[in-house]
Amino acid sequence: MDHTPAAGTSVRRKEDARLLTGRGRFVSDLALPRMRHVAFVRSPVAHGRITGIDTAEALEVEGVSAVFTGEHPAIGPVALRAQSALPGYVETDQPPLARGKVRFAGEAVAAVVADDRYLAEDGAEAVVVDYEPLTPTVCAWAEPTDPVHDPVHEQAPDNLLLSRTFRAGDVDAALAGAHVVVDRELTTNRHGGNPIECRAGVARYEAADRKLTFLSGTQVPWIVRTQLAELLDLPEGNIRVIAPDVGGGFGVKAVLYPEDVALCLMAMAMPGTALKWVEDRVEHLLAATHARDHRYVLRAGFAADGELLAVQADVWCNAGAYSVYPWTAGIEPLMAGGLLTGPYKLADYRCTVRGVATNTSPSGPYRGVARPSTVFAMEALMDSGARALAMDPIALRRRNLILPADIPYRMPSRLVDDSGAYEACLDQAIATFDLERWRAEQTRRRVEGGRPLGIGVGLYNELTGLGRAASAGPRMAFRTGHDACTVRINPDGAVTVFSGVTSQGQGLETTMAQVVADALGVAYEAVEVRIGDTDQSLWGFGAFSSRQAVIGGGAAHLAGEHVRGKALALAAALREAPVEDLDLRGGQVYMAGQEKPIISLAEVAKVAYLQSDRLPEGFEPGLEGTKFYDPIRGAFAAGAQIAALEFDPATGEIGILDWVCVEDAGRIVHPVIVDGQIAGSIAQGIGGAMYEHLVYDDAGNLATGTLLDYLMPTAGEIPELRIGHVSTPAANPTGVRGVGEGGTLAPNAVVAGALADALGVEIDDLPVTPARVWELMHP
Amino acid sequence: MKCPPFDYHRATGVDDAVAALGAAGDEGKILAGGQSLVPVLALRLARPAVLVDVNRIPGLAGLEVRDGVLHAGALVRHLALAGQGLHPLAAEAARWIGHTAIRSRGTLAGSLAHADPAAELPAVLRACDGAVQVAGPSGTRRVRADDLFLGALQSALDDTEMITGVELPVPDAWGFAELARRHGDFAVVSVAAARFGDRVRIVVGGVAGVPHLVDAGDLATVDGELSADRVAILAAAAADDVDPATDLHGSAGYRRALTEQMTLRALADLAGQPRPVREPA
Repeated sequence: MDHTPAAGTSVRRKEDARLLTGRGRFVSDLALPRMRHVAFVRSPVAHGRITGIDTAEALEVEGVSAVFTGEHPAIGPVALRAQSALPGYVETDQPPLARGKVRFAGEAVAAVVADDRYLAEDGAEAVVVDYEPLTPTVCAWAEPTDPVHDPVHEQAPDNLLLSRTFRAGDVDAALAGAHVVVDRELTTNRHGGNPIECRAGVARYEAADRKLTFLSGTQVPWIVRTQLAELLDLPEGNIRVIAPDVGGGFGVKAVLYPEDVALCLMAMAMPGTALKWVEDRVEHLLAATHARDHRYVLRAGFAADGELLAVQADVWCNAGAYSVYPWTAGIEPLMAGGLLTGPYKLADYRCTVRGVATNTSPSGPYRGVARPSTVFAMEALMDSGARALAMDPIALRRRNLILPADIPYRMPSRLVDDSGAYEACLDQAIATFDLERWRAEQTRRRVEGGRPLGIGVGLYNELTGLGRAASAGPRMAFRTGHDACTVRINPDGAVTVFSGVTSQGQGLETTMAQVVADALGVAYEAVEVRIGDTDQSLWGFGAFSSRQAVIGGGAAHLAGEHVRGKALALAAALREAPVEDLDLRGGQVYMAGQEKPIISLAEVAKVAYLQSDRLPEGFEPGLEGTKFYDPIRGAFAAGAQIAALEFDPATGEIGILDWVCVEDAGRIVHPVIVDGQIAGSIAQGIGGAMYEHLVYDDAGNLATGTLLDYLMPTAGEIPELRIGHVSTPAANPTGVRGVGEGGTLAPNAVVAGALADALGVEIDDLPVTPARVWELMHP
Repeated sequence: MKCPPFDYHRATGVDDAVAALGAAGDEGKILAGGQSLVPVLALRLARPAVLVDVNRIPGLAGLEVRDGVLHAGALVRHLALAGQGLHPLAAEAARWIGHTAIRSRGTLAGSLAHADPAAELPAVLRACDGAVQVAGPSGTRRVRADDLFLGALQSALDDTEMITGVELPVPDAWGFAELARRHGDFAVVSVAAARFGDRVRIVVGGVAGVPHLVDAGDLATVDGELSADRVAILAAAAADDVDPATDLHGSAGYRRALTEQMTLRALADLAGQPRPVREPA
């Protein structure tokens, strides 16, 4: 029997048999007896007082059974309040359905329940809402002299929901002593997550035993359960949240939305009736969380030899109309301030970040949270510094990278970097890319003519698998450092794993099965994994911050080892062998020095469950175990991307000629999944850098309300990506580093950097489009 | 994004379809490939009382050339148009429409009747000085391309009329060029160019409410070979002749520049010259 470890090989994915044959089980597919459908009435105005809602006509529409508004007794008392004890944070409320006023175009004002979604939309059209307009705020960095006419929330008269200053060293002194000082003012474009399956939920409440079941396409079922228990005033054990197959998430489904809460509240008001809401694309673009609408005002000082001496930054993040629940309006600004300096050493740092309320859809977590913007900002400073010093931009970066000798490196934001693989990633990327060849081609074109060619570079650190000491969401009511995993040997010797991880298509069932198979000593095929059901698994915070391979994987490994120990102890007692001489491989127990197994795991399991008469003294029946894992800090994952782009002076067309990415994913569990994560996240990053842009007009109307105007990249727009790895195992049970987000971090910097390099200009805002390129070349 | 209620009528023939449209007054809409109509219905931007499904009408998917003119049935799908060799300009333009799924459903007449100024086939119809055959309550009529397009998404067709066939004269030489944000998107600017004898017709999509026929005056009359100089002059004339607007995907100045570039490319193809792009050696 082959006992090759499952980890490190691209085993066939557990979920593919159903996902690739169209047999996935998504919330959108779910049909329950007597199920009814919900459509939301959404505000057409960005900011206004609600002066009246008339639901009479809607209730007359065929098939409509109920209409709920924010004032309905079932909805009225409830508000979502993202809480944090962080100084400088103002807590505000978000109603499940708007109450009193609306704060963004697209906010849910009422909900119509009907026999099907068509009829629900007919009913929604018939709801008449009167608004008295208020002055909208759309831009998060209006001149300070502009008075705020109508604040978004009365608790924040200046629209400031959060501000915080990160300070280290003496920035003013360091700038005064700098050989060159460079200034940049940058803005980044607003993105949406756009998973292929939009948000979806089915809620059903049984009044007799006060039990609520919520099937949701969420990334965070346990967080949802905890928050719902608080909001709905139900015992947490009475709520079951199930995330079945989920069609992508990218962070936007790591939020508990007002629509989710409204759906559950309505279900409680209609006991026994399952209520289903499946968001459509127009709703998603309008009302799911947005991200990356930022402004950076930066100053950096460099020594004559290129050493980065100081960074002074002012950052504005458009938080949108509400402080995203439960993460708070701090999610983007705090990440921006904490990780702006990226993989570069720096002692003197001052960065003031702000989360500003506006009359736009709330900002929330989206793959890479803030760092696609901060990497763009930091790399822009590096490029400006190189120009000012007449230094090679890559040499300047090298001069400042955190190196292996610096590890553990305490960043100026006090986060502790455990990686130091930046230069290794950069070296390998440059070698793969063949930088010399591209520089020669660039020179050749400059001399002989031809489309201008630019080389863009982005170096980044992805903070993954955050433990309790660096938990996502500072000073919130919960710490997201740990996950649990239960490993159960069934009576037949096969293994069922109840993991707290969730999957939105990234193959977590497979990854967890690989980890458990190796930790336990069984074949990958013998392991089945259950995820996403709060009634099955003990605990998991879910999918965000590239945390699950590190934390869920750590728990899976520990639980597997724990149960392996139990099984071996039982085997030793049954065979009267010394346990330290036994080994479990491929589901068989071997004694040191013997070729043939002494007992099978199946036999051990049979005794444990079915033959208590054979159980040795001191052994309990059953064969399972549960372990939690918390990495305490987290694992930094280094990455480097470098690309060559050409620009057509006649049309502005952008050609990506080569794109290389090298990342340190630590020990790699499933090579194809890891490369898939990197490729997908680079594609998403390229989308953000070149295509995707949510545009509001001055009145707060979304001008890019369909996929005709909000351009997602397709396979046709993404070049062949050349992906490489350096693997420095992290100090956690499986040695992995998170890999979910890193790819998104560099493309803004790479595309803008390549254009700047090609044309000798500075690129201060995104996206880079053909029209933009043409305007730059025809000033 | 679910359609409002409507009645559905599956037409058995052109007369039946016209009768159903007539009975619906101005509340009827033809369902052919549905590639523009269905999204508009889902967004509830259109609320026809009756959809008249013409997909099952026999005899409307033919393609044949008579006297130098391609006669195409109304229900010819973009995929079929892209795959035929009778009218290479129409074939090339059809390849630029959307993606395979869209091309396999969308129809020639549907695209013309929808009259999107950035769509490929209206530009081709105009470049070829083509026409559509129309059936209506008072009989049939023929509408020339120059008269068909009135404005963005506005055609000269009455709500009770349907296109039954399309006449596309086959040019002696042709060229087509387009720049779209992504593969399959509507054009930011497209140019269809067709030569019939000594006349060159240049039509620009995406720069006005209708596919814009460039008025190049005497410059459009070409004796013998179209020289590279004349190509450049015509492209500049095309850029001068358009008056585009600014939107999310580009400024007026950008669209004007693209008009020149796409015209250069299309005319280079037409003249059998290499496209004027500065490719790396």
